[in-house]
Amino acid sequence: MSPELEQKLSLMASHRSVLGYLLIARGTHPSIIRHSGVVFEGEQGKRYASVVAKIVESVQTGLDEVRRDDSAPAGSSDESDEVKFLRIRTKRHELMISPDERYLLAVLHDPSAASS
Amino acid sequence: MSERRRAEIEAKRAKLAELRKARADRQREDVERRSTIPVHGSPARQNVDDLVNALVGSPSRSGRTSGDLTPSESMPGTPALSHTIQLAGPSGLSISGRASRQSDLQYDRIPSGGPTARSVSSNSATDNVMEITMTPRAYPDLVDMEQELFELPQKERVIYNKEVQTTAVDEEPSQDWEDEIRRRIMQERELADAEKAREKELEEENVKLDQEIEQEIRELTEEERASIVTAPEFLDFVEQSSKIVQRALNDNYDYIRDYTIGAESGGDDSEGKRVKKVCEFFDEQLGKNRSITDIDWSPKYPELSVASYNKNGSALNEPDGIVAVWNLHLLERPEFVFHSQSDVLTVTFSPFHSNYIFGGTYSGQILLWDTRSKHLPVLKTPLSAAGHTHPVYAMRMVGTQNAHNLITSSSDGTVCSWLVDMLAQPQETLELVHSGHNKTSEVSITTLDFPSNETTTFWVGTEEGTVYQANRYDRAGAKAGLNPHDVYKGHFGPVLGLDFHSSVGPVDFGDLFLTSSVDWTVKLWRAKGLTKPSTTLHHIPPLYSFDEADDYVFDVKWHPSHPASFGTVDGSGKFDLWNLNVDTEVPVVSTTVGTGRGLNKLQWDRKEGRRAALGGSDGHLYIYDIGDMAIPRESEWTDLQKVVAGMVGGGQANGVNGDDSKIVAGR
Repeated sequence: MSPELEQKLSLMASHRSVLGYLLIARGTHPSIIRHSGVVFEGEQGKRYASVVAKIVESVQTGLDEVRRDDSAPAGSSDESDEVKFLRIRTKRHELMISPDERYLLAVLHDPSAASS
Repeated sequence: MSERRRAEIEAKRAKLAELRKARADRQREDVERRSTIPVHGSPARQNVDDLVNALVGSPSRSGRTSGDLTPSESMPGTPALSHTIQLAGPSGLSISGRASRQSDLQYDRIPSGGPTARSVSSNSATDNVMEITMTPRAYPDLVDMEQELFELPQKERVIYNKEVQTTAVDEEPSQDWEDEIRRRIMQERELADAEKAREKELEEENVKLDQEIEQEIRELTEEERASIVTAPEFLDFVEQSSKIVQRALNDNYDYIRDYTIGAESGGDDSEGKRVKKVCEFFDEQLGKNRSITDIDWSPKYPELSVASYNKNGSALNEPDGIVAVWNLHLLERPEFVFHSQSDVLTVTFSPFHSNYIFGGTYSGQILLWDTRSKHLPVLKTPLSAAGHTHPVYAMRMVGTQNAHNLITSSSDGTVCSWLVDMLAQPQETLELVHSGHNKTSEVSITTLDFPSNETTTFWVGTEEGTVYQANRYDRAGAKAGLNPHDVYKGHFGPVLGLDFHSSVGPVDFGDLFLTSSVDWTVKLWRAKGLTKPSTTLHHIPPLYSFDEADDYVFDVKWHPSHPASFGTVDGSGKFDLWNLNVDTEVPVVSTTVGTGRGLNKLQWDRKEGRRAALGGSDGHLYIYDIGDMAIPRESEWTDLQKVVAGMVGGGQANGVNGDDSKIVAGR
């Protein structure tokens, strides 16, 4: 990994409230490229990875389905409404997912740690 | 319904087989680099064999042999080998059920293993495949292999009896008719039960397969990883997404906050007459050992500001000049970073093009960067005599959307006007010369400004401390170039900042300008009107002089919306906010910024002027908010008129010499 990349990722991960990040390559079988933080270690990390990938997939297909039902059957309209960012706020944490066509960056952070 | 379920299971099995195969291929490649084949015991293999058999055994149930075997058969010979394993005797082989091309040793075992075939489910499928077994014998690749011990859970094998369900009516005459019927009913019931049991089995298998597919998902070898991380789109992706995530992280508002729940101790709210620091932009890697030389705010995106940096003396292989675009929502790193071969002394956003940034450098080159492209400038002026050959300290963009020019000035007195898309040579060049100087007639320009609404005449501040007026073109009564007759003399050292009033509002103060200098003072001047140029040398004194500072005053800027306010920054790290309607002797607020290192530049944000960007000589860019002091009341303009009139007529002791009677009132 180039040092710039390392630096960018570590800069992001060293933010006060960030608990960890997960870099996943999408595809039929999502796979973890890199992870950091205690939260994403080992088994839990793998589970997070599969869950996150599934979430993005289901959201994307859901949106596609919504669009598909409206528009004419002659193929999908030019602008496909891809998911650009997902922010899932739970009671304790916030999971931010930034998907791309091929990759996915998921960051888990604790917002209350930031604002305190 | 069960058909569908079965179909699902088939698909899943196929998928699982594919995954296994893919993994095995990868492992095989791994293995080809390693050596030794440890022999392991059979029980583990037995599990595998059971598993594989179960996989292979199922086709007979639904008669979809081909469907199951096709994926494996895509690699000729591989399935054959897999099946040979179950036939061969217990010997060291890969658990995953497929072995790479083995040595002939393996093949020799095949025939011997034949009779010992553990026909767990020796059905036709396997037999067919067995024939294929013999062919790959000729494969010459001898490969060393390594086993991996792989514990797989015991697969439940569903076994059932196949039988023909026809009523044996013809054989048994009606004596056993009742029994017959009873038997049939029993059978049917059993079948129904068996069906149900099968359904349940299928479901469990379904679930289990799901889980196993999950397990398959996470594998990723080192080389795959390496290939991914070096792909350029991966780098772009990381760059983009980490920026987005960081912006989201910086947004501290907790939007699910419930205000009804008990309150924490409130924060301080001592607003009013205070200047507050919003944030501080500094990048450790970029800004270390560099000073900020110029700042500008984006006309299009009010949260973006750009700062230019000079050379890092201690790092010789880093670019000499850096320009960084900072985003108020992204505090840790700049949005964009641009490089330059020599120190960038002045920078400006293009007001007519949201993506362009201009910079003037120490070498005299003017550079154009585009935010859509990478670090290097997209356009450069040539380093020839046509352009500048001396450091470009000041730059302004004048004109309208359709007809605009970039006016640049360098320290040898050359003022060039450029067209944005044609940076190969300047549209016009102007040499400012002043014959009255001793030693040389050059005018070394340190700063330049145009009055608002003017594009053909401008004022320059020089190293000698005088301020001159110059024209771009010939006009009636005045020649192009410096106006040698109207000399604004007052400072005793180089003029570092010059700013014309923005003249918005009911009263036009557009002829007032402020200058700041090394002699610790800031002076207010009234620009002489162009309608009556003088023909003889004429020294114009300042209207007023502000002597409050204790250090070089590096920059002064009028407030964009409040007519009587201006800010100054000086070398001791102080940021002074003045309001002429309140007090002309002392600033309203004086704040020490940062660590006390000098501040080089000040720039108010464009619209309302609530924020000021201060550039320090330590490379830090501070953003301060002045809050309500930025809002002018209705009376500010008339008040200022009175104040200025007082300065003019009242004969202040400072900054005015004997010639003040010739001051022309108004414009």
